[in-house]
Amino acid sequence: MLFLLAFGLLITAATLAAVHLSRRVNMLEETKSLKDDLRAIAEDISRELDTGEEDPYDFLEAVSLIQKQDENFSYVLRDTSGVVISPSFVAGKTLKMKDVHPYKGYDSVYSANVWSHKCLVIIHTFPDRPLELVGIYSDRYIFDDIQYTVHLFFFLVALVLVVLLAVAWLWVIPALERMYARRDRAEGELRIAHDLQHKAVTRSFPKDPRCEVHAMLKAMKDVGGDYYTCVQSGDKLFFALGDVSDKGTPAAFVMFLLCGVINSLFKHDAPLLEVMDSVNKMICDNPDYDMFTTLFVGDIDLSTSEMTYCNAGHTKTLLDGRFLDQDPQMIAGINPDYEYHTQAFRLHRGSRLLLYTDGVTEARNENREFFGESRLVEWMQGRSDGESCEETCKALFEEISAFRGEAGQNDDIAIMCIKIC
Amino acid sequence: MLKTNIEEKDGRVVVTPVGELETSVCDSFQEEMAQLTRREGLNMELDLGSLEYISSKGLRVLISMQKAISDNGGRMVVTEVTEAVREVFDMTGLTRSFLVE
Repeated sequence: MLFLLAFGLLITAATLAAVHLSRRVNMLEETKSLKDDLRAIAEDISRELDTGEEDPYDFLEAVSLIQKQDENFSYVLRDTSGVVISPSFVAGKTLKMKDVHPYKGYDSVYSANVWSHKCLVIIHTFPDRPLELVGIYSDRYIFDDIQYTVHLFFFLVALVLVVLLAVAWLWVIPALERMYARRDRAEGELRIAHDLQHKAVTRSFPKDPRCEVHAMLKAMKDVGGDYYTCVQSGDKLFFALGDVSDKGTPAAFVMFLLCGVINSLFKHDAPLLEVMDSVNKMICDNPDYDMFTTLFVGDIDLSTSEMTYCNAGHTKTLLDGRFLDQDPQMIAGINPDYEYHTQAFRLHRGSRLLLYTDGVTEARNENREFFGESRLVEWMQGRSDGESCEETCKALFEEISAFRGEAGQNDDIAIMCIKIC
Repeated sequence: MLKTNIEEKDGRVVVTPVGELETSVCDSFQEEMAQLTRREGLNMELDLGSLEYISSKGLRVLISMQKAISDNGGRMVVTEVTEAVREVFDMTGLTRSFLVE
């Protein structure tokens, strides 16, 4: 951005310099002959004024005489204190005597810089009156050789700059822009994927005195794919937690879609098998997805504490510090004809379920050891009964982070904890 | 870390990944395999007897490989598996779909 701004400024400066200079170069020929003319005019004026009438008030005549000779001549009247009396001076500027210099030995002819234009100034002081007639030959530049050389130098510098900038404009900038665009797009996509993942998962959990639910997701910026949802419909608490086996934007979009589909089926009291089949077929029917998902879905009838569940290739759900009995079933999205089945288990008051993704068991420490199932089971057995689900989730995140030590997070981590009250 | 040995004999290609097929190496492994899976009628034997670990992203690579090979009229058979990989296959219901001999 800064680069583009600087580039724009340079282009503007170079263009202005070029325009300004071309104007000056055009004037060069004109001013060369002007110099000679001017010298002659100055001589005439000087002679006229010196040998003029005795009447000191007849200065207007002198002025008209000058103006007749050259229309570019203008004048200003002022008293010796420097107050302007008739401000018809073309450049609108009053000169002080100290700013003018005698011009090549001519009487009454001085050179001066008026707004950085070199001008010839004709000054005549009437002997008995405190008035001066100041004439300035202006509107044209007196362009001397030094100025010309300086301007030529700047013109060449500007020319080189313009050539360099043209090269930059045509080749360097497009290449940089392409590079930045690629990088921005990639980053933007990952950010969208990351946002999608966090927005798709449930953030407000059912508030029923008979149960307590909490879930947390810690997604990797460039992996993505873990998801969960939890919906209460009447007496039934539906929950799902899964992991899409791809990364980045594609995984995020599919998990977003899955969350929507699962949520909507849950809200309509759909049987778990219908949920599993829908997810399985949805991914199988779109071979372009080139991905699959592991998924644990379950529902709990809060009036009877009867739980039904189905585990499609997902990590084994824990119940009170031991693994729930789960038949291995195929991950969803591979075989559209696979027939899933559900299992059932009656929970009791105080039962605590822990669902998680493989980011938990496969977290690694500096020695490349896995956190593993046995460590997780042991940790879960050490939880106190009074701990809330939110506390459990947070504690597990802290436990994994402590186990990992200096080693960074290597996969998404999603955790859901459900407690029967 | 993953090292992949590729050996061609009697019209079959034997691929032996040695080490761990974890998320970070999946992309490079898949790229390497893409050279093979493009071939028409490829007969691949995948020896997972030296694979200590496979992540869920690694599973995806195997499934994509199998799909690509069968799309090109070939066949992929898994010959050996370690206990760790067998567990993952069992848990994900993929044991039968990979035809573990």
